[in-house]
Amino acid sequence: MGELLTLVVIGVGTYAMRAAFLVTARRQPPALVARLLPHIGPAVLAAITLPALIAPRGSISIADTVPALLAAATAAVAWRRIGSLPVALFGGMALWWLASWALSTL
Amino acid sequence: MSTTPWGAGAALSVLGRGARDSVAVAVAYLPFGLALGATLGSSHLPALLAWSTSPLLVGGAAQLLAVQLLSAGASGVVVVLAALIVNARMLLYGAALAPHAAAWSARWRWLGAYLLADPVYALAAARFSMPDGGGSARHRLLYYLGVGVALWTAWLAMTGAGVLLAGVLPTSLHLELAAPLTFLLLLLPTLTHRASYGAAVTGGIVAVAASGLPLGLGLLVGAGAGIAVGTILTGRHG
Repeated sequence: MGELLTLVVIGVGTYAMRAAFLVTARRQPPALVARLLPHIGPAVLAAITLPALIAPRGSISIADTVPALLAAATAAVAWRRIGSLPVALFGGMALWWLASWALSTL
Repeated sequence: MSTTPWGAGAALSVLGRGARDSVAVAVAYLPFGLALGATLGSSHLPALLAWSTSPLLVGGAAQLLAVQLLSAGASGVVVVLAALIVNARMLLYGAALAPHAAAWSARWRWLGAYLLADPVYALAAARFSMPDGGGSARHRLLYYLGVGVALWTAWLAMTGAGVLLAGVLPTSLHLELAAPLTFLLLLLPTLTHRASYGAAVTGGIVAVAASGLPLGLGLLVGAGAGIAVGTILTGRHG
């Protein structure tokens, strides 16, 4: 079945990318590479987060973007103050639900 | 490799720490996992096939993209290309963790590679960048495997539950924001100094500007720009 084959090919390809550097790991990477490594996490995670955050339903609009940014700010503050991922996530979600509900009843 | 004997007490405390960290992340992932599972379950693909992306791909963004494209009748080549581009960040995660994993045996690195996902990278990178480097190589491996297996299991269970709840979860729950908020919470702990803020701000803004690119290439363009700016900022400091 073609669809399963497609998914298996993606799975194998993804595994190869996961393994490529991990399996050939060296204790001392080349100096230039070593300088790049610390910035991978922040750069990649922000590149995933920001586009999805400002267009949570696929396009930028006041009705979606403003509540999403408020929810993100709430989650960030909650995480900095309390240090708990679940509290921060559900705090942000609660604000998103509240803002979405408020906007839909206006 | 260090020759210190395996301290059972220390090993248990590493595992306990991994378990606590995993539970917090898994709970935070719950809305995203359920929502993704429900989306998979309501696609045109058979539910079990759609869910098989969880063990095959182990990454929500690529799973969503692959199933949506297949469901819309896209050609296999396009689907493979798009999903692999979205997952190309795993290359970068692997490179970032590799120096910390160099002392692990090859067998564990092959297994560790399968478990490498966004939250596993985020937790491991945070722990391995602590002043003690996350402890001995064995303790780092123990933490990594503990977190990896726990979050892998949780992901399969959550997305499975979401598939089963596909018609039941009310759309009024509005879980759209669960994924970006979850990733925001993985991002925040990585912002430890000026260069990391520079990398994140650049990565985010460039990804938004490039979000019109096909096949999800905007993510890679943004990530590349962010890494470059972070590196330049570090160079100026030191």
